[in-house]
Amino acid sequence: MALLVVTNVITAVAVYYTAAPKAGVVAVQVIGPWAGDASKPGTEWGKFKPILDKFSNDTGIPYVYTPTRQEDLTPTLPIAFQAGQSPADLIFMPSATIKQWAAKNWVTDLAGTIGPSSYQAGALDPLTASGHIWGGAYTGKVKPGFWYNKTLFTNNGWSAPTTWQGFWSLLGSIKNATRRPPILAGDGVGWPLSDVVEHFIATYGGAAMHKALMNRSLSWTDPSVKAVFQNYLVPTLSGGFWTAPTTWDNPGVTLWWGGTNPLYFMGSWITGMVPNPSAIGVFSLPGGAANQGIVFAADYFFVPKFGAHQDLAKRLAAYLASEAAQELQVKQGGHVATAANVPATAYPTVDRNVADLLSGKTVLSDLDDTIGNPFQGKFWSQLQSLWANPGTWQTVLTNIQAAAAAQP
Amino acid sequence: MNGPTPRAASRRRWKLPIRPRTIVIHVLAWSIGLAWLLPFIGVAMVSLRPLSETSLGWWNLSPFHLTLDNFVAAWNNPGCPLSLGLRDSFFVALPATIIPMLVGAFAGYGFARFHTRTRDYIFLAVVLFMAVPQMMVAVPVYNLMIRLGLISNLLSLILIHSAWGVPWIILFMRNFFRTLPAEVEEAARVDGASDFKIFYKIVLPMALPAMAAVIVFQFMWVWNDFFFAQILIQKPEWFLSTQCVPRLVGQLVRPYDLMSAGAILTMIVPIALYLVLQRFYIRGLIGWTIKG
Amino acid sequence: MNRREGGLRPRLLPSIPGAGRIHRRLRSQLTFLSFFLPAAIFLIVLVIYPVVVTLTLGFVGADGQFAGTHNFETVIGSPDTLNPNCVQAGPPCGTLINNLIWIGVHLPLTLFLGLFMALLLQGVRGAPFIKSMVFLGMVTPLIVIGVVLKFILEAPIGLVPAFFDWLGIKPLAVNWLSTPSTLLFGLILGTVWSWTGFSMIVYSAGLTTIPKDYFEAARVDGASEWQVFRKITWPLLKPVTLVIVTMTVLWELKLFDIVIGATNQQGGVGGAADVLALQMYRYFSTTDYSNAAVVATLLTIFTFIVSISLFRELLNLPRRKRRPHKASVQKPASLEAISAEIRVPATDGPP
Repeated sequence: MALLVVTNVITAVAVYYTAAPKAGVVAVQVIGPWAGDASKPGTEWGKFKPILDKFSNDTGIPYVYTPTRQEDLTPTLPIAFQAGQSPADLIFMPSATIKQWAAKNWVTDLAGTIGPSSYQAGALDPLTASGHIWGGAYTGKVKPGFWYNKTLFTNNGWSAPTTWQGFWSLLGSIKNATRRPPILAGDGVGWPLSDVVEHFIATYGGAAMHKALMNRSLSWTDPSVKAVFQNYLVPTLSGGFWTAPTTWDNPGVTLWWGGTNPLYFMGSWITGMVPNPSAIGVFSLPGGAANQGIVFAADYFFVPKFGAHQDLAKRLAAYLASEAAQELQVKQGGHVATAANVPATAYPTVDRNVADLLSGKTVLSDLDDTIGNPFQGKFWSQLQSLWANPGTWQTVLTNIQAAAAAQP
Repeated sequence: MNGPTPRAASRRRWKLPIRPRTIVIHVLAWSIGLAWLLPFIGVAMVSLRPLSETSLGWWNLSPFHLTLDNFVAAWNNPGCPLSLGLRDSFFVALPATIIPMLVGAFAGYGFARFHTRTRDYIFLAVVLFMAVPQMMVAVPVYNLMIRLGLISNLLSLILIHSAWGVPWIILFMRNFFRTLPAEVEEAARVDGASDFKIFYKIVLPMALPAMAAVIVFQFMWVWNDFFFAQILIQKPEWFLSTQCVPRLVGQLVRPYDLMSAGAILTMIVPIALYLVLQRFYIRGLIGWTIKG
Repeated sequence: MNRREGGLRPRLLPSIPGAGRIHRRLRSQLTFLSFFLPAAIFLIVLVIYPVVVTLTLGFVGADGQFAGTHNFETVIGSPDTLNPNCVQAGPPCGTLINNLIWIGVHLPLTLFLGLFMALLLQGVRGAPFIKSMVFLGMVTPLIVIGVVLKFILEAPIGLVPAFFDWLGIKPLAVNWLSTPSTLLFGLILGTVWSWTGFSMIVYSAGLTTIPKDYFEAARVDGASEWQVFRKITWPLLKPVTLVIVTMTVLWELKLFDIVIGATNQQGGVGGAADVLALQMYRYFSTTDYSNAAVVATLLTIFTFIVSISLFRELLNLPRRKRRPHKASVQKPASLEAISAEIRVPATDGPP
């Protein structure tokens, strides 16, 4: 009995004292959203790892990378920050969240480490406020439209549509041929669906509508917005042209590339994730309003105030903002640099084609990333609900508007 | 059992050794039992086979390759290695079982043997606090631990779990002590032993079966906890195994193989404990008033 | 009586004549207190004080001033909590209603399934083994069950959609995680799988205490199985049923792990599986302490209401002077005794 008590007291005391930081190898800890097995080709982490490796090789600072989804970080990081702790030294998060947290005094000011001069015009704006720079921008992805397997299309006699009617009949032909929904819906907590919705709005409502919704100067229940849903998006949903949200890695990629559900809306990082990048093609939604937009979403990172190694984090931040790092990333395919002076030759051919899709269109920011939480979470779950029950689209719009109005 | 079936009644010399109804009952019972195991089988399948084989349904048995890769990956996972997670879970669960057991047994004995006017009211209050859900104390305890500097320190979890276990252990042990005859203790008291000595030397050894039930339940309860761990442990190097399991996912991918391996590593401990110490679980649930 | 005490307790009172009884009583009180002290410290610091603080937090506004019932109105009025539209428009129904739906669907299922299995397993060969298999669900951490549900409910890797596909019920052969109505029900099934073990074991124990003579007498009288069940078994099991109902409802009110494991902090598609505890966690993570306290208080009020019935039984115990001595009982104990003992692992116990 006494032995038990003593052992437990010793354990408790030992545990308490071992909570002190260990001396040893000092590594910078990074949290990003990209996961996957680096040894397998085409994984997101496999694409990002070379950039971090280069940092280690150049500076001699080892790194520890932990993949965590941003939607999982949003509830857990504040709890850690409130207690004055941070699980990492540098973390990737949407810009709106970084700004919210800067207001709560949880973010290290990076002015002096990173400046707008190393970026293209406007790239750092979302994180700049009254002289403070609350983080850095990394590369970004364009979300241009629906991706497809060119070989598959040629074999079946399908081609990219140029009008809305053409799109509609393409969907019909594919469904007749495969007897399956032609469009693969992406999974996650709903952000692939929000990308789709933004594309519909930016194309058929125009860049102005997208910006107005992002500023919350336009209501989601406005007739113009309703028209986009009612005339374009909802019919495709009600027509059974979408699958249920499916995970990308097994079985999504197989189903899409293999032709079961041959259309997939995704950001341009997809070009780096297919077995045969030269066979990948993309088309934007055809037709549409006069002044359309395409969403370009950059990845942002920040240095939490409570990270253990502030100086190492700052060096990594400066590196990620640099032309060297971003050029290397861009070469992997699927990314667009925000840093200045990255030459066009660094982009693979496929990505240059994507750039063509951008011509004539306004570049827009990601809507829900910009507004931030708690709107974003509600937005995503409402859209999931919409995909499950297209008939409830009016209620969904009302709920989204309520969330937008309630956003501080 | 009822009398013989009509058919058997008409042939007295030959009776069916097993009645059809019994067969049906046995088949039904066993199928339900096996159906209950199906989720475990599924998890085991997905964790022991490569995901490429199981992603369209683990019941597809060809091709069939066994691999321990997923367990290794979960063990060494960069975001939350199960090796550290399991260690931390043990470090919390063991003290958080022993401490409230001793404290609760101590107090339970006090409630059982020593009369005061207000004793019953205090007892009622203690039992009332058993009903409080964890969420009720989350915010103040979190702030308290911040002030004590114990966030991400396993000690904070040990303390709160001990405090949480105390009410039900007091109730349990007090009820147990009331079933013990008081003569032995009276005799010892006449001989001049102090109350504490009596408790320590005489009563506690008699209470071993009850304490075993307490240990078994409290350990399982602490091990399986997620809420308090999620609130109080923020540094990845100190995460518990239950915190690791939901973190085994990525942005675009859902690595079911990794997740199921992690799930198995986490739940194998309470399950093993249960299988070995089943008797005490049942005792704990239905009390020691029934044998077996 | 005994004036000599070795060890730690010195004489506290002078030996005044006639003070014997007072001395004894005081001594009893002090001994009680000293036994209770360590537990009391734990309870006061880590349970009682925080509960009081949370209670007061619920009444404090964002500016730190007393805000009356404003927070309560905000939370209860929010569509996150109560969304009665869901009767026509479909889920989400709000956290409060979700918890109630959970109780309404899960409780009868687990109760009767457990009872059915307890009855079924009487006299079955290998019954303890089957009971173990079913009880395993109680022992598994709920967060793990939640995560496992993620891939049991998701087509095409999951068992549940495949099962309905095999049965030919196409509407249910979809990804249960992405349709609001099936999500909630899928999670409820997960808790049924987990908690039926408790109901079964407790009913099994209860069944063993019903004297066989009752059944014999009924059979002799020619009663059918159903009549035996209705008139004898069920009424005699009432105390046990009460305990199972109370414990199960208490667990249902505190659902958190399984929802966050299977979905996310929003409660899944459209918030269809959102529950009170999850809502509290969301408020907590956005540093909205007052509203978090409100939800926690609401939760506690409900659990108290439910526990009252159980506590009324507990109130009987202290009144009794002496209980039968034997530590090992030859005849089975009464049902009341069993149900009085069943409160482990308490209201916030496992899984």
